[in-house]
Amino acid sequence: MSILVIEDEPKTGEYLQRGLAESGYGVRLARNGRDGLHIAREEAIELVVLDVMLPRMDGWQVLAALRADPATAQIPVLFLTARDEVQDRVRGLELGADDYLVKPFAFVELMARIRTLLRRGPVREEAQIHIGDMEIDVLMRRVRRGGTVIVLTAQEFALLHLLARRQGQVLSRALIASQVWDMNFDSDTNVIDAAVRRLRRKIDDPFPDKLIHTRRGMGYVCEALPAAAP
Amino acid sequence: MKVFATAGWRHSLALRVSVMFTLVVALAAAGLGAYLYRAFVHEIGRRDDIQLLGKLRQVQMLLGRPGAAALLRAQPDYFRDTMSGQENSLVRILAPDGTLLADINALRETYPLPPVAGAAPAIDAIRSWTSSAGAPGRVVAGSARLDNRQVNIVVARVYAERSAMFAGYRRQIAGAALVSALLAALLAALLLRRGLLPLRSVAEHAALVRPGTLAQRLEVKGAPSELLPLIHALNAMLARLQEGYARLSGFSADLAHEFRTPVSNLLGQSQVMLAQPRSSGEYEALLASNIEELERLARMIESMLFLARAGQEEVVLARRPLAALAELEKVAGFYEGMAEERGLVFACSGDPALAVAADAGLLRRALANLVSNAVRHADTGSTVVLAASRRGEAIELSVSNHGAPVAALHLAHLFERFYRADSARSDAEGSTGLGLSIVGAIMDLHGGEASVHADGGRITFSLVFPVA
Repeated sequence: MSILVIEDEPKTGEYLQRGLAESGYGVRLARNGRDGLHIAREEAIELVVLDVMLPRMDGWQVLAALRADPATAQIPVLFLTARDEVQDRVRGLELGADDYLVKPFAFVELMARIRTLLRRGPVREEAQIHIGDMEIDVLMRRVRRGGTVIVLTAQEFALLHLLARRQGQVLSRALIASQVWDMNFDSDTNVIDAAVRRLRRKIDDPFPDKLIHTRRGMGYVCEALPAAAP
Repeated sequence: MKVFATAGWRHSLALRVSVMFTLVVALAAAGLGAYLYRAFVHEIGRRDDIQLLGKLRQVQMLLGRPGAAALLRAQPDYFRDTMSGQENSLVRILAPDGTLLADINALRETYPLPPVAGAAPAIDAIRSWTSSAGAPGRVVAGSARLDNRQVNIVVARVYAERSAMFAGYRRQIAGAALVSALLAALLAALLLRRGLLPLRSVAEHAALVRPGTLAQRLEVKGAPSELLPLIHALNAMLARLQEGYARLSGFSADLAHEFRTPVSNLLGQSQVMLAQPRSSGEYEALLASNIEELERLARMIESMLFLARAGQEEVVLARRPLAALAELEKVAGFYEGMAEERGLVFACSGDPALAVAADAGLLRRALANLVSNAVRHADTGSTVVLAASRRGEAIELSVSNHGAPVAALHLAHLFERFYRADSARSDAEGSTGLGLSIVGAIMDLHGGEASVHADGGRITFSLVFPVA
């Protein structure tokens, strides 16, 4: 099972292929709509990343053809567009696309969307999350590290819960702003940085093993790293 | 010329007006001719009738002379000659019992005998008749005395030449009407062509307007008053275009300028890095730094697109009532971490029941831009005040902070794109210089107003939302 990327722009195609492969997915790259459609029909494809602006057969036509063929109708499609017009988005979703991203987009954002699309079905909310020695009781909104109870504000808890729920995934600042604060626009990156710093002061600063990590240029990830050799 | 020559009949104002004008002139000439003709005919008839009555009086006088009866009997020919005078005069003298005493009738016409209307008949006693040749005739009967005897006189006349004369007169009038209509058409066309010259010169001037000559205006002096509204409207349009164009080209220039710095950073630092082999840590740092610059560019592009779309009013508003205070607290919560690091405190106030009709996403974006601005410029340790209040029918949301005083001359420009009050660039904060103009655009979309006022070191931005 692999992800099919249909993208004619060489650099975009290349970095998508590389990035997805390094994230552990099998990747097939098609340079035009016809080849892409062919691969989607012949091979086991789990998800299609589709550029709208393609030579000869454009993304809309590919999407319509994918949806028209029973063999490919169920494959989730995420489309990429450089033209962020409302009617473009509506058209894509009407034709049966599952999600879209507007260029320029952050790679971590693409990864987050792909993971969501591949997860399919309702996400089971875990009542208890364990990361390293941290234990989060989601229902009681209680956090402990080791034996210590950590008191968080509602927003700090919401931020930690998001990072912990997506344990091991790099989350972009835009995604964090949208999920925790409902701010769906590009805001100051400093805001999220400051909020994460605040959370770290309570979660990480008093302890030797850090759980929240900065991925410079991409965002934040919450995970327990294997103990570094002394 | 071309403007008029190429236009079809339906579309040429000059042609339409001259055709209508010609029709009016033709109608007027025909009407006048008809009136004159009728008056002429009437007048001729009246004069004929007066002459007829004169003839009657003449016969009466002749018969009244002593010895007239004897003369009538003795010398009927002399009498006939004296009385008839003209060949077209027919005279009949009758005794009261109807006996014919004399009949002068050179044309041998038969004509009706009208009722006798006394010694001096009025014009309305005259009757019409038609001769055997079809010519119009008039006849009148009056009483007279002949040797102390009462007799009746009938005088009639035939106007054989009248029909021909009237027909000729009618032809003349029709001809004159036709000629005057043709003359009017010609004159109208010529005069209209002249009269519409100013319109053509306006068109020629308007045709010369280019993006580079938007400062020019159409000439008002010497223009006819009917064209003034058009010229003023065109000039006002030019003024608006000029302003919009200037703003747009200024914006493009600013934009190019704003893009220069990040692009030059990206280029420069990447090239410096590649000039020598370096550790992977250094490469990583470069890439991360590049990403920061690129994110700033991406944000700028997004903001610009938003502004462009808001300007075209292509942004779809999903307006619904939102709890004003809750929205303020939400945005304050978003910035809490940043505020805390700068030692700032938020104070949100307002009636919790106060609702503002707005698009949630856009309202938050506007508030976030104001709060971000306030947090960046507030004095350390001060309070940033967020307030919601009712202002008449409208709802006012305000964000104020205490900071370095902003000169009044900057205040008016704060909502302009890329305007920065402190010319020393404070880009390190990641500001795009578009935040406040986005606030302005969002308020425009809501039909509201964004304003700013400063009081010493306290600067307050207000958003006034009208009742939806």
